[in-house]
Amino acid sequence: MSHLTGSGRRDVLRDDLSAYAASFEAWLASRPAELVAAARPLPVYAERVAVTSELMRALFDEGWARYGWPEQVGGLGGGILHRAAMWEALARHGVAAMALFEHLEILAPTLVAMGDAGFVAGTLPRFLRGEERWSQGFSEPEAGSDLASLRTRAVAADGGYLITGRKIWTSWARYATWCLVLARTGPPESRHRGLTAFAVDLRSPGVEVRAIEQANGTDELAEVTFDEVAVGPERIVGELGGGWGVAMHILAHERGTFAWFRHNFLYRQLLETVETGTPAADRLLGDALLDLAAVRASSHLGLHAHASGAALGPKAAFVKLLLGASEQSVNDWALASDPDLAVGPPDDEAAARRQDYLFSRIVTVYGGSQQMQLDTIAKQILRLP
Amino acid sequence: MTVTVEQADQEFLDAACLALRAPREGGDPLDALGWWDLLGELADRDARMAALALFRAQGRELATSAALGALMAQPFLAATGHAPGSLVAAINHRSRRRGERLIVIGDVAGRSLLVDRPGQGAGVVDADRVGLRPLEVAGRLALHEVELDPSAWAPTVAESHASPARARGQFLGRLALAWEILGAAEGALALAVAHAATREQFGKPIGTFQAVRHLLAWAKTDCVALESVAVTAARLDEATPPRHDEVVKALAGRNGRRACERALQVLGAIGFTAEHSHHHFHSRVLALDALLGTSAELTHALGGWVRQTRADLAVDAAALLASPQ
Repeated sequence: MSHLTGSGRRDVLRDDLSAYAASFEAWLASRPAELVAAARPLPVYAERVAVTSELMRALFDEGWARYGWPEQVGGLGGGILHRAAMWEALARHGVAAMALFEHLEILAPTLVAMGDAGFVAGTLPRFLRGEERWSQGFSEPEAGSDLASLRTRAVAADGGYLITGRKIWTSWARYATWCLVLARTGPPESRHRGLTAFAVDLRSPGVEVRAIEQANGTDELAEVTFDEVAVGPERIVGELGGGWGVAMHILAHERGTFAWFRHNFLYRQLLETVETGTPAADRLLGDALLDLAAVRASSHLGLHAHASGAALGPKAAFVKLLLGASEQSVNDWALASDPDLAVGPPDDEAAARRQDYLFSRIVTVYGGSQQMQLDTIAKQILRLP
Repeated sequence: MTVTVEQADQEFLDAACLALRAPREGGDPLDALGWWDLLGELADRDARMAALALFRAQGRELATSAALGALMAQPFLAATGHAPGSLVAAINHRSRRRGERLIVIGDVAGRSLLVDRPGQGAGVVDADRVGLRPLEVAGRLALHEVELDPSAWAPTVAESHASPARARGQFLGRLALAWEILGAAEGALALAVAHAATREQFGKPIGTFQAVRHLLAWAKTDCVALESVAVTAARLDEATPPRHDEVVKALAGRNGRRACERALQVLGAIGFTAEHSHHHFHSRVLALDALLGTSAELTHALGGWVRQTRADLAVDAAALLASPQ
C-alpha cells in the first residue's frame, strides 16, 4: 500500500470520494504493468482470467480495491460509489473488461450483507485480491426464468447439509473456487418459500464442473453437478428457507447497479474502435451513444439509491433493459463498421470483437431475460391486470 | 416516475399540472406558479429543476405558453436590458418548402421578440409590431410564424456577444423541449395503459395479453430512459460535456416517438380517430422533435462528430458520483 502513509490518509480517501478518485487517477497514470496487461485484447478466456486476477491483486495490495468494502472483510470502508469510481477509471484507462470480477459487484454485496460473518471475513478478502473467484448457481436445466421451480436439494445430515443436483449456465464456474448455490430445503411444492442459499466450495468431493463451449468461441459458461456434497451450517447465506430473498438481493445488484460497471467498458470499447467507423454507420453510432447516455444516467441514479440504503426494487428492470439495449446497439454499430467481424482474418483484435458482438446477442437472456423484465414492469409498475 | 424520485421535484410537477389543467379565471397559470421568477435563478439547481418541470407538465396537460421562448431569451437579457419574461426568443426553423422561418410558441402579446441571426447578431422587435400568422399544427400547440419586415430588424447584440448567449439559449431550449416531449409521451402512455386495463377482447382485458403488456413496458422504459437523461442534464447543467443538449434532444425525439407509436398500437383504431386524445400527444411529440434539430439529424451528426474527433461524450463520472444534492 505504497500510497497509504498512515491511517489519516486512509480516512481521507474513505470519506472523500473525489480525493480517492484523484489519487487513483494518479496511480493509473503511472501505467502499472498489471494495468497494461489487462488492456490487451485476449481471445482466450483463460488468459483474460489470468491478467484480470493479477490486476485485482495489484489493486488490492495498493489499497484501491479495498475501498468500498467494510473492514471486517478486508476492506478499508467507504461504499459502492468508491467501487463505481474505481471501475469507471479502469475502463477509461483501457482495461478491457471486468471479466469474472463482475461477480464482485453482483455477489459480494449480498455475501457481506447476509453471509455468516466468520465465513465471509475468512473468504471475501481472497475474492477481493483476485486469489479466489465466485460463481452463482441459480439456473438449472428445468429452471430458467421460472427459477422457483428449481430441483437441486439440500438435505440435513451430520449437523450440516448434503447438496445434490445440477446447475447450468454457471458463468465462470471452472475458474471459481466458490459457488453460491440456491437449493431446495423445503418440500418439492414449496416453490420460492423452500429455498436456501449455500456457499459451496467447488473443490469439494462430489462436485463436477464441465465447461460449455459457446457459440461465440469462449467457454466461460459451465454445467455444475453436485452429488451429496457436504456443507457446514456456516455456509448458509441468509436464513434457512430464506434463499429467495438472497437471490432477489443479488438480482437487485445484477439489474440495478451492475449496469454502471458494465456500460463503462462498452463505452471504452466504442471509443477505442471509433476510427473503424464509416459514414454509412454514423446513425448507428449516434444511436449507440444515446443508449449509453441512457444507461449512464439511469444507473448512476441506481448507485445513489443503493448508497443511501434503498434499492430500486422493480425499477431495476428498466436499468437492466437499457444496459442490454446499449450493448446490442454498440455492437450493431461495430458489425456495420467492420464486416471483418463476420468474415475477417483471425487476429486477436478481430477475434475478440467478434466474440463481443456474438455475446451481445445473448445479454438479453442472462440475469433475467428481457421478457421477464418486461413482465415485471407490466405487473409491478404499470399495474396492468 | 423516476428511477429515484426527489420529493420537491415531484411536488412542483404535480402543482404545475394542476395549475395548467385548471387555470384560475383569466389568470396566467405561470404567474400563479411563480414560474417567471424562476428565470432569474437558473443558476440555482432547485429553481432550474422547477423551471424545466413546467415543460413536462405542459406535455402532460397539452398546455401551451411562451415559456420556451422566454427561457431561450434569458441568456440575452444582460445584453438587451430586458426584465426576465419580457423578452421571448423566436425560434429559427428551416422549412423545406418555405425557407428560413421564425416561429414563436404561445401568447407573446405585449412582449418583445428576440430575433437571433447566427453570424449577424441578435435584435429585438416589438411583438405587437410584427405579423403573427397562426400555424395549423396538431398537438394543441399555439404556434405562430413571424412575418417580419426585413427593414424592421437590426442587430442590437453584436455577434461576439450573441454567440455564447445563443449556445446557452439552445442548451436550455433543447432541455426544455426534451422535458415537454417526455410529458407528452407520458400522457400518451397513460391513455394506453388505461385502455389496456378496460378494453376487453376474447372475454378479458387486453392488458392481460403478454404481447400488449410488453408493448407498454417498452414504452415505459423509453420514457424512464428519457427521464433519467433529462433529469441528469438539468441537475448538472453546465457540468455536462460538449453537445450534451444535442444528446438529450436526440434521445427525446427518438424515445418520445417510439413510446407514442407503441401506445397507438395498443389503442388500436380508436387511437387513430380525431375524437380520441392520443393524436394530440403524438402530434405534439412530432412537432417538438422538429424544433432545434430533429432526432434524426442530431443522432447522425453526433455519430459523425464522434467518429471524426473521437470526442468523449460521456457525462463526467465524478460529477455523477458526487451527491445528487
